[in-house]
Amino acid sequence: MGILAWKNLFYDRVRLIVTLTGIVFALVLIAIQFGMFLGFLDTAANIVENNSADLWISAPGIPHVNGGSPIQEAKRWKALQVPGVTHTANFSIFFVNWKLPNGAFETCQIAGFDLDSGMGGPWNLVAGRVEDLRGEDTVIIDDLYKRKLGVHNIGETLEINGKRARIVGFTHGIRSFTTAPYVFTSFKNAQNYIPMREEETIFILLRTAAGADRNAIKTGLLATIPGIEVFTRDEILSRTRNYWVFGTGAGTTTLMGAMLGLLVGIVVVAQTIYAATIDHLKEFGTLKAMGATNGQIYQVIILQSTLAAVMGYVLGISVALAIVHSTADTDLLIKLPWPVALGIFGLTLFMCMSASLLSIRKATTIDPAMVFRG
Amino acid sequence: MQPLVSVSHLVKEYGSGANRFRALNDVSLDIHAGQVLVLMGPSGSGKTTLISVLGGILSATSGSVRIDGREIVGMSESQRPALRRDLFGFIFQGFNLFPALTAEENVAIMCKLKHVPQPARAAANLLESVGLADKRNAYPADLSGGQKQRVSIARALAGHPRILLADEPTAALDSVSGRKVLEILSGLARQNNRAVVIVTHDPRVLDYCDRIVTIEDGRVGSDELRRHIRPTPGDIA
Repeated sequence: MGILAWKNLFYDRVRLIVTLTGIVFALVLIAIQFGMFLGFLDTAANIVENNSADLWISAPGIPHVNGGSPIQEAKRWKALQVPGVTHTANFSIFFVNWKLPNGAFETCQIAGFDLDSGMGGPWNLVAGRVEDLRGEDTVIIDDLYKRKLGVHNIGETLEINGKRARIVGFTHGIRSFTTAPYVFTSFKNAQNYIPMREEETIFILLRTAAGADRNAIKTGLLATIPGIEVFTRDEILSRTRNYWVFGTGAGTTTLMGAMLGLLVGIVVVAQTIYAATIDHLKEFGTLKAMGATNGQIYQVIILQSTLAAVMGYVLGISVALAIVHSTADTDLLIKLPWPVALGIFGLTLFMCMSASLLSIRKATTIDPAMVFRG
Repeated sequence: MQPLVSVSHLVKEYGSGANRFRALNDVSLDIHAGQVLVLMGPSGSGKTTLISVLGGILSATSGSVRIDGREIVGMSESQRPALRRDLFGFIFQGFNLFPALTAEENVAIMCKLKHVPQPARAAANLLESVGLADKRNAYPADLSGGQKQRVSIARALAGHPRILLADEPTAALDSVSGRKVLEILSGLARQNNRAVVIVTHDPRVLDYCDRIVTIEDGRVGSDELRRHIRPTPGDIA
């Protein structure tokens, strides 16, 4: 029966193209929407994810990592007195205005970190050195935002909030969910750019002793230092992600887009596979009249769907990977890791199988006497 | 001599209640191996219903149909496919070949369905037996009507069925092709000790048959034996 499924599929090339187009369309829609969702998850909290701090101290009630407000830096010394805390460092994230060469302004986020501890510093450095940030008015930006920020090379100078800034390095792939690029600099330099008093910081980052109970340390910090909120890494990560991805509706929209893609996919694939079965209904009737069991007819239909699914997947995932590749150097991150690609294969099979179930029902209710009706 | 097919007081009704329609009404008929039986009658008389019931495609309302000694009236739906596969070969007016498959693949798929060993070789042999050895790799679209019907006959012969049921096998054919098909069908009945039942309106068929049964309003109108069939070892004693 395999040969019938295979040759039926290729017999009508136009129908095959329509079927594969339906599957590819649905797959690309699902892969890209879901890839964007994963990209959102990644960019929404990458500044936390790539930070080696074990605990974060902030002003109470901050909505996310990009929405902190100043606290007294002196609290850092009190934190060091809590058992289990081994290192502390200041860290500031704050929105600033970046003056473009044409005089216009672009919003950026200063990420001012402690150079000695390295907590909160840049990653994926592709040009320059982090140590160069020890120089006055020095900053590192991501090369994806060069054009947006009017920067071409290391050594160029610009203005941030009216203060001089000199480019000393570039990272690659540090995107920002808010579209305001991160500008890395030392905490000391950041104090020049951020409208904040010298004795203030936005966050105090903590490292804890190996094997220490971080929840116990958190309780100790809250008991010792009034007027603060303490987060474990996972807590600030999820608060930030939840805010940007779900609170703003961006993630929900993309997830719904992926779901819509799935629904559209099922409908398109169901329609095409159903129509293909209807086209072959007389053949199935003939098979049935000549002694084929319903099970053997199921085999042909399911095999046809599976073949269509595999071909559609190979084409669809290739298109999706090409789109992902083409956005690699833009500020839009679309992630398509292999477990997701594998999951999409399962989904494709599911779509095609669901579609074939509809047509199976039609095929098995064929009256075999139809073969005698001319 | 016990007949290969024995039909007794067969009734087939369609619909229910006020819409009930009796397509076959108390039909009794015996068909012997080696016999070419032609079913004739006006359109709507019940000929196609009769071969559909004989072939286990439609279930009877009442009566008895014994095929090769097996009662098929009352047989469950799940048992019917095996009955059709093992005992019958079907030939259709519209050929019903699979357009995506070559002539050989069309025959081989039935060989596979009937668990014939080496289906490709068996299919090639069957095509040769109907004079189409050179058309093995042709697709139905590239064959003439007569050639298509011969492929259809080769397919029906897969697994050497005891009974061939042919519905208007010459209706779509010119006179030369029609005669060729009828020669093959009558030869198959005589040489291979099987029964061939042909539903037709085509008077050319009468030259090749052993018996003519007319069906009128669901009943057997006449039953004319044109040639006596010599009992063969294939008949059930």
